[in-house]
Amino acid sequence: MTDDLELEGFEPADLDGHTIEQLSDYLAAGRQPFDPSIESSPGCQIALAAMVRLRSVSLSLLESEAVDEPARDDSWVAGILNSIGLEAQAGRSIPIQHPSGRASLSLTEGAVRGLVRAAGDSVTGVLIGRCTLQGDVTVPGSPITVLVDASVFWGEPIPTAAAKVREAIYAELLRHTELNIVAIDVTVHDVHLSRSLGEPSTEEIE
Amino acid sequence: MDARSVPSLVDADDRTLAGRAADGDVRAFEALVRRYGPLMRAYATRVLGSNDETDDVVQESFITAWQQLSTLSDPGVVKSWLMRIVSRKSIDRIRARKLHVDIDDHEQEAPTEATPPRVAEARSREQALSRALEAMPAEQRQCWILKEIAEYSYDDIARELDLPTSTVRGLLARARKNLIREMEAWR
Repeated sequence: MTDDLELEGFEPADLDGHTIEQLSDYLAAGRQPFDPSIESSPGCQIALAAMVRLRSVSLSLLESEAVDEPARDDSWVAGILNSIGLEAQAGRSIPIQHPSGRASLSLTEGAVRGLVRAAGDSVTGVLIGRCTLQGDVTVPGSPITVLVDASVFWGEPIPTAAAKVREAIYAELLRHTELNIVAIDVTVHDVHLSRSLGEPSTEEIE
Repeated sequence: MDARSVPSLVDADDRTLAGRAADGDVRAFEALVRRYGPLMRAYATRVLGSNDETDDVVQESFITAWQQLSTLSDPGVVKSWLMRIVSRKSIDRIRARKLHVDIDDHEQEAPTEATPPRVAEARSREQALSRALEAMPAEQRQCWILKEIAEYSYDDIARELDLPTSTVRGLLARARKNLIREMEAWR
């Protein structure tokens, strides 16, 4: 390949004075603002079409290569999982009282989020996503609001599922922590195998 | 566990997986590794021009992702976020390589394999592009992939590859012409 190759049909003379680079920028900008000198030029239209084709083939090339990737053996995945530091998501330290004033006990925020996740997942058809503890969990008695993201499967009624999730999480936190839970807000962001009902659920105790 | 009552993480949406992983759920993170690892490998291989370092680059990318997932404000965009990370890691490798003699910049002969039987039109086009990309000088290929697939700006590419913006524009112009020529010849 030479550096200054001429490409028949794609030189300024063929493009009514435009260059491929200008056309590329025009394409990248979503063909906005509308440029009549490009849009009314047959040469430019041919070049733009070629560039659009090239773009779409490039994206599909990567997707195909990903599909063709030899399946990674589990050791590759295990290698990654063994390399990540599990402490990264420990979060804040949540104190627990103990009859002996000399003992100092605490739970990590990550452990509490794990409890919340497990409790929410125990509700049929529900998968918990992100969980956030709002409030100062490091100070005993502070009002805490639990926010959970959830997806609901199998066409479960969302208000019912949300209420069950709230109950399960509340019971679990009451059993294992001393957090002063004032609210548990469940946001249902996705529904699988059902019509898409993406709006946040509303309060309704069954 | 009743399979019906506990939906599988494998089928979970990105937002659920990324949210759980951000909270420290290793199983959800593993599902993301399996879901996007292959695409990240394909991407890194294209940017680097070979798969010698692909495993390392993708592994480093996932380690960074795990550490920074909690800073991702919208877990629903985890795919493009991961692609951004693997871009950055691949570029780091290219930079490190530049300290050595870059033998990749020599002209390479395109593989002259026989035209494959017509499997599917789309597939043949992809193969044509694949050969054209492999035949390109490394810098042209890198610029082009960063611009067209990772959607970097000219200035971003210039900064990442330590090249003047004018050079990047020139490389991209040549890359574009090379690829269009190859692809249009295929048509």
